[in-house]
Amino acid sequence: MTAVSRPASRETVALVLDGRTGLGADLLGGKAAGIERMLALGAPVPPAFVLTTEAGRRFRAASGRLAPALWARVPGLVRALERATGRTFGSGPDPLLVSVRSGAPQSMPGMMDTVLNIGLSPEAHRALAAGDPHLAADTRRRFAAQFTATVGVPPPDDPWRQLRLAVEAVFASWNSPRAVAYRAGRGLPSGTGTAVTVQAMVFGNRDASSGTGVLFSRDPLTGDTAPYGEWLPFGQGEDVVSGRTDARPLESLGDAMPRVRERLLDWARALERDARDVQDIEFTVESGTLWLLQTRAAKRSPRAAVRHAVALAEEGVISRREALTRVSPAQLDALLRPGIDPSAARAARILARGKAASPGIGTGVAVTVPDAVGEPDSGADGTVLARPTTDPDDVPAMSLARAVVTETGGSTSHAAVVCRELAVPCVVGCGTGTAAALRGRTVTVDGGTGLVYEGALPVRPPHADESSLAALAAWAADAPGLPVTAALSRWRDGHRPVH
Amino acid sequence: MSEELQVLQTVRLKGRPTTDQIAAACGLDSEAVDRVLRVQAEAGRCTRTHGRHALAPAGRDRLRQLLAAERAGLDQSALARAYEDFVAYNTALKSLVTDWQLVDGTTVNDHSDAAYDAGIVERLTQLHTAFREPLAHLAGLAPRLGRYPRRLSDALAKVRAGDHGWLARPLIDSYHTVWFELHEELLGLTGRERVHEAAAGRAG
Repeated sequence: MTAVSRPASRETVALVLDGRTGLGADLLGGKAAGIERMLALGAPVPPAFVLTTEAGRRFRAASGRLAPALWARVPGLVRALERATGRTFGSGPDPLLVSVRSGAPQSMPGMMDTVLNIGLSPEAHRALAAGDPHLAADTRRRFAAQFTATVGVPPPDDPWRQLRLAVEAVFASWNSPRAVAYRAGRGLPSGTGTAVTVQAMVFGNRDASSGTGVLFSRDPLTGDTAPYGEWLPFGQGEDVVSGRTDARPLESLGDAMPRVRERLLDWARALERDARDVQDIEFTVESGTLWLLQTRAAKRSPRAAVRHAVALAEEGVISRREALTRVSPAQLDALLRPGIDPSAARAARILARGKAASPGIGTGVAVTVPDAVGEPDSGADGTVLARPTTDPDDVPAMSLARAVVTETGGSTSHAAVVCRELAVPCVVGCGTGTAAALRGRTVTVDGGTGLVYEGALPVRPPHADESSLAALAAWAADAPGLPVTAALSRWRDGHRPVH
Repeated sequence: MSEELQVLQTVRLKGRPTTDQIAAACGLDSEAVDRVLRVQAEAGRCTRTHGRHALAPAGRDRLRQLLAAERAGLDQSALARAYEDFVAYNTALKSLVTDWQLVDGTTVNDHSDAAYDAGIVERLTQLHTAFREPLAHLAGLAPRLGRYPRRLSDALAKVRAGDHGWLARPLIDSYHTVWFELHEELLGLTGRERVHEAAAGRAG
């Protein structure tokens, strides 16, 4: 038997996370690897176990079934969570509920499935309701809706059956159309698969001293060194992650529970120092107790990427050369163009999302027929052309439009190619029905991010005057051969990228 | 071959062309184009504003009739097979043009790297050469496409002479403009609709 075909040892397939597994994100997935890191530092993390990407590989090899031998190991792992929490899975006076989350080696935010509150059997519901009818009702409503949407059937009564169906659905979500499209669009490998993390639930919807939120150890939009967070009292994790609008600024957590906020910020600093990068932390407060659910490197705006990289280097956390690798050519390019004012973008409603096809910002009234695109000298406000796809006789209108939006097509489509040549901002592939939905509204199109916002948003000038950029350009002189070196030296020599 | 069909279709493909642009695309002289367009204008099928021509609704109807009559006389199964062959070349051309415009899929090519640009011009030349025979075959099946080999060669010659706008700039007969018109012709000749092809990933 060769090394390649030998079955992996038990410990690489299914294991309890304890901060000492010694396994990396390739097996654990990003989510469990983050939990491992937090546990190793002694952070307050609800107990969890992981079925690794190796388990996911076997699941796919078995045509989407959990092998009996693997499933047989799950009760023992759940038992470990029961011991750590003093609760019983799906039963007893204080029932243990768990979350089942995907976790691929590379981050694919929002692309795969999560099911919360697994274990909410009729018995568990009665036990919860005896203590707190509001909590029980709210939890059951969330559970039934999310389980049905993800698994495809309503939740069965048996908690073990719930767990098995949820684990299978999350493993299978690796091959969901949106996940496949996400990987294809970013050139990510499709063979790695996902791991599944099962974690004891804590309740942000338990009482007035509970809630859930996200915290960035530094501001991911402006690049400020101050942390940035959102907080939703009486909520569960998905509420904030999915962008529900009634989240409050982090300061409101400080007003209600100053000690919790302080502790959270301490942990954010510690996790950032350990990862040597800005962290995006999901947390829950249950009856005044802080729990950290996950941490990962924060997605950030181009401006924040440059400012964070320089700040981390100046604080001695990373080297100057490493700072240069923390910024991509695309981020640099975007920084040297005008953009939408970040605070306006944060507050604005997003009307459509598609693929970024031609960079730049365009504002105007959306029209759906080329003849309605205003002549530039007609004195009318600008127009944005929204079409199912574009064809050759749309080109004159495209050249006059402030921006172009299409329903179908990718970054090599006619609309994309023509708009790039014309330097007209363009977003493609927003989905059928987008043109009709936008018609008559004033919209702002960001061809660099693929977002279409409601209203005329203020545009800020290029960030070419950003002082961090000058620092980075100076360091680039000593680090030839990095992806951003050439662009930085060109910029420093006064040759801004030509558009 | 009908000059009327040739001229009306060119006006449709180009949106609001001048007489000279139509003449160049059709391979006719300007007087002949003007003669056709005068007749069409009198019949209410064409309008002329600031020296640019456009189709009126009656002109679109007339064009549809002429195209339907043309299709009825063509070997549809041979055309359908030829279109399937075209799809692979089309994918290659589109990715080539995208690489011309974006360096790593997201960063705008500022054309400061001459070697990078030269590599793409070389890819275009190879594609053009490989496509010569399938294109001749298409023109054999649909004689109205007979101008395309020349129009594509002209654009390529200008690109190779260093005038890079002729690779993808719209509103002139750049390589991409001509190619896209050819694609539009093939969709029409085989009775396909762009929006369906786009959804299937073959156009857009």
